[in-house]
Amino acid sequence: MSSLLNVTFPVLAHWMIVCLLSPFFLGVIARVKAFFSGKAGPPVLQPYFDLARLFRKKCVYSSTATWVFRAAPVIILAAMMALSLLVPFGICKAPVQFSGDILLAVYLLALGRFFMILAALDTGSSFEGMGASREAFFSCLSELALFMNFITLALLTRSISLARMIGADVPIVWGGMEPTLLLAVASLFIVLLAENRRIPVDDPETHLELTMIHEVMILDHSGVDLAYLLYASALKLFIFFGILVSIIVPVRTGYPVTDTAIFLGGMLGLAALVGIVESSMARLRLNRVRLLLLISFALAFFGLIVTLWRA
Amino acid sequence: MTLWIDVSCILVVFLALSVLATNRIVGMIKIFAVQSFILSFVPLFLHADAVSGRDITLSLVTMVLKAILVPAILFWQIRHISMRSEIKPLIGLGTSILFGAVLIAVAFWVSLSLRLPGKLLSSLVLPCSLATMLLGFMTMVTRTRAITQVLGYMVIENGIFLFALSLFDAMPVLIEMGILLDIFVAVLIMAIVLNHINEEFERTGGSAGRSKTGETV
Repeated sequence: MSSLLNVTFPVLAHWMIVCLLSPFFLGVIARVKAFFSGKAGPPVLQPYFDLARLFRKKCVYSSTATWVFRAAPVIILAAMMALSLLVPFGICKAPVQFSGDILLAVYLLALGRFFMILAALDTGSSFEGMGASREAFFSCLSELALFMNFITLALLTRSISLARMIGADVPIVWGGMEPTLLLAVASLFIVLLAENRRIPVDDPETHLELTMIHEVMILDHSGVDLAYLLYASALKLFIFFGILVSIIVPVRTGYPVTDTAIFLGGMLGLAALVGIVESSMARLRLNRVRLLLLISFALAFFGLIVTLWRA
Repeated sequence: MTLWIDVSCILVVFLALSVLATNRIVGMIKIFAVQSFILSFVPLFLHADAVSGRDITLSLVTMVLKAILVPAILFWQIRHISMRSEIKPLIGLGTSILFGAVLIAVAFWVSLSLRLPGKLLSSLVLPCSLATMLLGFMTMVTRTRAITQVLGYMVIENGIFLFALSLFDAMPVLIEMGILLDIFVAVLIMAIVLNHINEEFERTGGSAGRSKTGETV
C-alpha cells in the first residue's frame, strides 16, 4: 500500500502544480498584450474564471458528430496531462522518466493533435476542415524542428530522456556549448509560438477569420468540451514554457526557494516575451508561416551541424 | 573570447540565411548591415589578449564602410526605384531555406578537409565563412533583381572577410584596407550604374526578356 502511495504521490503532486499554475500564464500574456495596447486588460486570473464558467455549462453536439468528436477533448487533455509528467518544472522533478521518453513526448503531442484534427473533420464543416488541413501541414514542419532540437540536446547531454536533456545536465553543457544552445533556444521559441498557435502563426483571440488555425478547429466544441480543450492548450503552453525555461535558466543554487523563484521568474519573463512578440508583430500571411517554420528548422539543423562539428 | 568568436560566426551565418529567406529589399539591407556590424567585432575578439592598433583600425573601417556607408548607398539607390520587394525569385523562398540548410552542411563538410596554415582561436571561423559565402552565392543566383544580386555579392564578401580574418596574421593590413576600399567603390559604382539603368529603362530586372505584349519584363 505504501509503495503504491510512493508512486502515486509524486504524480499527483506534479499534476496539481501543473494544473493549478498553467492557466495563470495565459492570463499573464493577455495582461502584457493589454498593457502594450494601452488597456487595463482582464485580470490575470481571467482564464480560471473562463474555465470555471465553461465547466458549469452543458455541451451541445451537432447531429453529424460521432463519438470521435465527443472523445477528442478528453483524449487531448489526457495526452497533455501525460506529457506533463515527463517534463521537470524547476525543482519538481519529472515523476516519469526513462531512456527514450522524448519519443513518447513527441508522440503524445502528435496524439493530441491527431484527435484535434479528427474532431475538426468529424463536424462535417468545411471551415473546420480547412483549419485541420493547416494544422496538419504546419505541425508537420514544427515537429521536424522540434525533433532536430531534441537530437541536438540529446547529443549535447548524452541522454535521450527528456528530464535529463533539459534538466540536470544542461548547466554543464552551457559551460562550453553556448552557441549551439543559443540556436536551439531560438528554434524552440519559434516552435513554441507555432505549436501553441500564438501570434506570428495564428491569433488565439480571433474567431471567424479565414486565416486562423487552432481556433477554427474548436469552433464547434462547447461547454465542458471547450473547457477541456482550453485547459489542454494552457497545459501545452505551460509545458513548452517549462522546457524552454529549463534550457535558458538552468540555475541550480541548491536552495529550493531560490530555485523556485528563479524558475517562476523565467516563466514569467518568457510569458512577457511572448506577449511582447504578440503585441509587436502582426500575424504572418499563411504562406509566410511555412517560411518561419522552415527557418526554425534551418536553425535547429545548423545547431545540430555545429554540435556534430565540435563533438 | 573563443565564445564570442563562436557566437559572432554563428550569427553571421544565421543572418546570411535570413538574407536568403527575406524578400523585402529594405529588410535585406538591414540584415546585411547588422551582419557587417557583428563581423566588425571579430578582429577584436580574435586578438583579445593583445588588441593592437591594427585590429582597432580594421574593426573601425569595417564598421564605417560596411555597416554604415554601404547600406546607406543601397538605401539611397532604392529610393529611386519603385520596387520594394523581390517579386519572383527563381526558386521559392521555402526551397531556398532548405537549400541553405544543405549548403551549411556542405560548408562544414568541406572545411573538414581544409588545412590552414597557422592556428585558429576558434574552429568555427573557417566553416562559417564558407557557409556565408555559399549562402551569398545562393542569394545571388536565385534572385532576379540587380539590387538583390548586389546584396548577395555583399554577403559573399562578408564571408570572404571572415575567411581573411582567419589568415589575419599572414595578410598585411594594407591589402586588407585595399580590399575594403575596392568593395566600397564597387558598390558605389554599381549604385550609380543601377540608377542610370533605372532612369533609362525604368526597370532593373536582371533577367531580360520580352513578354508577348512587348513590355520589358
